[in-house]
Amino acid sequence: MSARMLNWIAALGVAALALAAFLPGAVDSYAFSFLFFVFLYAIMAQAWNLVAGFGGQVSLGNHAFFGLGAYTTAILWSGNYLWGSLYDAYPRIYYFDPVTMALGGLVAALAAVIIGLPLLSKLRGDYFALGTLGFGEIVKVVLINGGDFTGGAFGVVAPAGTFDTLLPHYLVGLGLMVGVALALRLLMRSRYGLALIAVRDDEMAASANGIDTLKVKVAAFAGSAFIAGVAGSLYTYYIFHVGPDSVFDLNWMLLPLMMTVVGGTGTLFGPILGAFVMYAVFDLARIAVPDYHPVISGLTIILAMLFLPKGLMRVRGRRVA
Amino acid sequence: MQPDETLLRLEAVQKRFGGLVVLNNIDIAVGPNELIGLIGPNGAGKSTLFNLITAIYAPTRGRIRFRDQDITGIAPHRISRLGIARTFQLVRTFLTMTAFENVMVGAVYGAGGRVKHATEAANAALELVGLTARRDIRTAHMTLSERRMLEIARAVASEPALLLLDEPMAGLNPTEIQRMVDVIRRVRAEKGVSMLWVEHKVDAIMKVCGRVIVLDHGEKIADGAPREITQNRKVIEAYLGEPAA
Repeated sequence: MSARMLNWIAALGVAALALAAFLPGAVDSYAFSFLFFVFLYAIMAQAWNLVAGFGGQVSLGNHAFFGLGAYTTAILWSGNYLWGSLYDAYPRIYYFDPVTMALGGLVAALAAVIIGLPLLSKLRGDYFALGTLGFGEIVKVVLINGGDFTGGAFGVVAPAGTFDTLLPHYLVGLGLMVGVALALRLLMRSRYGLALIAVRDDEMAASANGIDTLKVKVAAFAGSAFIAGVAGSLYTYYIFHVGPDSVFDLNWMLLPLMMTVVGGTGTLFGPILGAFVMYAVFDLARIAVPDYHPVISGLTIILAMLFLPKGLMRVRGRRVA
Repeated sequence: MQPDETLLRLEAVQKRFGGLVVLNNIDIAVGPNELIGLIGPNGAGKSTLFNLITAIYAPTRGRIRFRDQDITGIAPHRISRLGIARTFQLVRTFLTMTAFENVMVGAVYGAGGRVKHATEAANAALELVGLTARRDIRTAHMTLSERRMLEIARAVASEPALLLLDEPMAGLNPTEIQRMVDVIRRVRAEKGVSMLWVEHKVDAIMKVCGRVIVLDHGEKIADGAPREITQNRKVIEAYLGEPAA
């Protein structure tokens, strides 16, 4: 399949998904919330793909960035730190507010820069991965001990009064998924994308050819954190109660990782395709065999790795697919 | 040689790994458009010398100057941007990239802004090493000799003043070696680049280089024209051992 054809299929798919939202009864259907979660996971998968797939730095801390974005959103909203008296006039002002969502991403990105500088300058490969895993646990413990500000072990509750339909979640989720994919496409065709692949392929050769490898890696790590933080923000508008056990759950890191690997690491469509396929498998297994569903999910991943080691896109390693 | 014309100057450089002195008291000066061969038996410290110049290691003692700037201990990517390019003994190309993309890295990043038109510079560098037809092939699918050529193209695309070649002929067959000699000559003639060339194929060095430096056990034992080197007692002993009484 040519890249051009793939782009057309993707564009048609997005249009169909957008239009489907306005079909009568769609909002109340099961498929609607199913797709919302697919979008959410696809965004998380794409975040991991940026740092690990394109950048070659396997991070196991993306759930921490997701959680930071979620907490930032819930705290800004419940404490009304952003809009002051405007909040009284427009009670829905925080609901899918782009500023709040961007701040969720920025807080996560800032944390990524702070932790990324020491980790990425000293650690490589497995050691870097373990470092990020440790970082996730630290963030969780800090937030549990954050007193009234972070609500301790209970967490923060955002005002749920604004919720009446999943339509905005669905559309914002779809929009973000497409936006992130387009942004990555632009990025990977830019000079920065060239440097990122160079660092992944051979760090020593990259630095001998004028690339500031630490800067490139930290930027990818921070970009990944930003996307994950925005995804966490989006999830806050769905769950309203942001607690340490819900948003720092390791599944927010592990499932997107599996989806990316199954879909095709280091490709643009792979993480999205992987999110659709794997979330469907997870969900069907959950419905069909509730007691054994992790077995089905695990088997699917084993089979996928045995028979499609390069992922469904089969073009792992290509810069743009 | 005029002192202000000197491109690279190593001053009493020493490198120690723990108690092992790999390079000791090395003084080397490289002038503009010079092609200098660097030879020596295994373990003489040739690759370490390159790694010092390109800041992969920092020298234990001594200074390294490039043009009039002290570059001892600065970051490797800044060395490249100042105008020192290199190739690696075990080729290091970016395997998932095409040949063109590999060379673009040199033109865009390695040059540190010297190259105004990166695409043209990259295409010209591929042309120079004869890889134009392989432009859009991914490096993973290229032969060793093509990858060695590609490394040179990537280095040339960054328009360096000094090029360090680390055994560019290792693993190549005679035809490919001849092609490599042609490319090295062409790079020097067309680009006016100074080169420091580490090689085990001593005959090639003696034929092509105007000056040869010999290292043995971390010491510089000879530095001069090829004719002088081949008659140098110390060099003969380093390669063949001391005469039996």
